[in-house]
Amino acid sequence: ENISGFSLNVTDCTQVVVPEEVFFTVAAAGILENLLVLIAVIRNKNLHLPMYFFICSLAVSDMLGSLYKTLENIFIILCKMGYLTRRGDFEKKLDDAMDSMFILSLLGSIFSLLAIAADRYITIFYALRYHNIMTLRRALVILAIIWTFCAGSSIAIALFSYEAATVIPFTILFPLMMFFILCLYVHMFLLARSHAKKIASLPTSTVHQRTNMKGAITLTIFLGVFLCCWAPFVLHILLARFCPHNPYCACYMSIFHVNGTLIMCNAIIDPMIFAFRSRELRSTFKKMFCCAR
Amino acid sequence: MSALRLISNRTSQQALSNSDYTWEYEYYEYGPVSFEGLKAHKYSIVIGFWVGLAVFVIFMFFVLTLLTKTGAPHQDNAEPSEKRFRMNSFVADFGRPLESERVFSCQIAEESRSLFHFCINEVEHLDKAKQSQKGPSLESRIHFQEVPRSSGMLEEDLNCLTKFNIPNFVNTEQNSSLGEDDLLISEPPIILESKSVMQSSHRILD
Repeated sequence: ENISGFSLNVTDCTQVVVPEEVFFTVAAAGILENLLVLIAVIRNKNLHLPMYFFICSLAVSDMLGSLYKTLENIFIILCKMGYLTRRGDFEKKLDDAMDSMFILSLLGSIFSLLAIAADRYITIFYALRYHNIMTLRRALVILAIIWTFCAGSSIAIALFSYEAATVIPFTILFPLMMFFILCLYVHMFLLARSHAKKIASLPTSTVHQRTNMKGAITLTIFLGVFLCCWAPFVLHILLARFCPHNPYCACYMSIFHVNGTLIMCNAIIDPMIFAFRSRELRSTFKKMFCCAR
Repeated sequence: MSALRLISNRTSQQALSNSDYTWEYEYYEYGPVSFEGLKAHKYSIVIGFWVGLAVFVIFMFFVLTLLTKTGAPHQDNAEPSEKRFRMNSFVADFGRPLESERVFSCQIAEESRSLFHFCINEVEHLDKAKQSQKGPSLESRIHFQEVPRSSGMLEEDLNCLTKFNIPNFVNTEQNSSLGEDDLLISEPPIILESKSVMQSSHRILD
């Protein structure tokens, strides 16, 4: 008999649709913000440091993610208007290319966050030798290796997405990296806390306990934002691979567009918590906008 | 999305051809899913996932705040020896350049000179005013304002810093009450003394 592919049950979980205006606004905001960060770092020679190059790498991967969503939406609109056929070979290849762009963005984000955490770790624990360990050339080489690896894996994953062998490592990589980054930051945090204790034990110190709360809040924001924005999508991929016919899984997968919007929100939030913390970068922005007027 | 194509290939094998996959805004390819006889609410995975995520983040936050209050005791035992080592290496390295600072400053242009005046002033202040800790931070903040203007001089600065054997960091403030930002390193800090090492790592996570 014919399996039509339609489920006509009344209690279906219908697709939760995000309005296109919201989609495009969020995507455009993400792209613009990250582009500004890139321009600011390129223009100001004071910012040609490894730390800012890693932040730029994060900005590039966020931009790719938002770009992917924008392009996908544009193509769907073109499909609806009839300019593109739905079953052509060209569209299939385009779809493949866009999928690999998206996975590239995810992998790039994860590895950029890892690079930023490692850079800060070396800053604290190898402070005297930081300048010799993390030279500009080494930072650029590290970034080149990261992006080559991400590009290769994204193309491989997009081509072989039917295999369980690609889905499982992809979903294991995500919590593994998160855990590693968490360990790095917790170790830095412990050192800062013990130093704060030492400073507080000095006779005329005025360091308050509340400053340690700020560290906990900062760290929670970093990791919480990344988790909340990417984990829903990763769970979607897992469920789509392993239980597509389960009604509970199908209801989770119906909020796919909300998950996509969350990823674009991550692109907007990331510059705020990484790039805009830097006073130098903010003053570069002010100069850029003052000169533009 | 690749997940979508995967589903359509698997569910539509019986009826449709393999090349017949579509980009759909509404993903009908999920196939016949029956919603009869569900024991729990149909959005239970969604709710469970988000509740679990929130609980995890809050748990992480409480663990981190607990770390601030108590913390592992063996960390305190391990730290002082490292600190002493750093202090010794720092004093040894920093002992030389004070005399040669004048030689350096004559060779370099005006802007980068301000950077080294910052360094020397910082050292002087830290030596004099060991009791008051707010003094040097104000001094260093004032001097640090000059550094961003030396746009073309950064490479020379870095070279001179290596000769000084100081890593590429600038420690501007000691207390978070002075600054607006600097949560988890906004500026690369110059560490001039072992105390500054402590301060920067303390500042970094504030």
